[in-house]
Amino acid sequence: MQISLRVALILITLVYMALIIRAIKNKKMQISFSVFWIITGLILVIAIAIPNAIQNISKMLGFEVTVNMIFCVAIFLSFYLIFKLNILYSKESKVNITLVQEISLLNKRIQDLENKENERSND
Amino acid sequence: MRVLLIIPAYNEQENILRVCKEIEAYSKELDYVVINDGSKDNTLAILEENKINHINLIQNLGIGGAVQTGYKYAHQQGYDIAIQFDGDGQHDVTYIPNICEPILQGQADMVIGSRYLDKKESQFQSTFMRRFGGNIISFFIKRTTKNKITDPTSGFRATNKKIIAEFAKEYPTEYPEPESTVCMICKGYKVKEVPVSMKERQGGTSSIRFFKTADYMIKVVLAIILDSMNLKKKGGK
Repeated sequence: MQISLRVALILITLVYMALIIRAIKNKKMQISFSVFWIITGLILVIAIAIPNAIQNISKMLGFEVTVNMIFCVAIFLSFYLIFKLNILYSKESKVNITLVQEISLLNKRIQDLENKENERSND
Repeated sequence: MRVLLIIPAYNEQENILRVCKEIEAYSKELDYVVINDGSKDNTLAILEENKINHINLIQNLGIGGAVQTGYKYAHQQGYDIAIQFDGDGQHDVTYIPNICEPILQGQADMVIGSRYLDKKESQFQSTFMRRFGGNIISFFIKRTTKNKITDPTSGFRATNKKIIAEFAKEYPTEYPEPESTVCMICKGYKVKEVPVSMKERQGGTSSIRFFKTADYMIKVVLAIILDSMNLKKKGGK
């Protein structure tokens, strides 16, 4: 790897880690998700620090070119994340529907009670 | 015997008042509740002005979520029978006794008003594509539950107290009509169809229940198969 590429990658990784840590610190992210992001960040750091390690692993696993393994891992991780988010979204939308229904039913009950109260005070 | 009509309405300013007046003119003993599903037009103003019994959903939920709100209301208020009735004037109030009768006689827990059961009965048979889609759904319901449902997407249906409780607890909100039918059959409830006549919409534009794409069909069929598999595994009722 050329020095200039390595420097660029280190800078990008630093920014990436800073963003993740800031998001976790400001409680913008759930802990369960932050673990995922921290691990990806650590993998990046390791990959840059010891480039031979990645090359050796990819050879061991039988990839012809190192970059293939990186793409492969990246795509799998992305799929996993999308899958997880999809499940979470489905759950949330169900919760949302119930909330809207219950609030609307409560509104209705309050309105009905108020109407009754008004009638009684008019009598 | 207390009966509640659940009328989901989304952007039905042209129809909703007429539908409610028709019901009132037909019978004073029928209670009804309009579920305003976050309409963007004047539906809510019309409901409030005319003091029509209504629930206003604070967000648009779609037909399934709106109808379930009605079932929750029916459950809270302890109604014996709940009838789903469209707010667009497609359904005919005079069929309400027909649709309630199997429940009153204890022959069924849920009754679906079918356009196709008796071809002479219904003046409006809907388009070829809709019927074709309906047939495919019917076929899969037959395969998974052994019950013949000729009009699985009909929104004109009556349910007894037990099913009101079931629907209040859990109601499939994605493809409500076919899915809820399959779920109830698999849970061991008796579902029956009676012939009804439906009219063509009299105003406004229909926003719901359209077989626009093959996409819809595939998803409904998948939902039916999954529902029946899940419930059979649990052993049903």
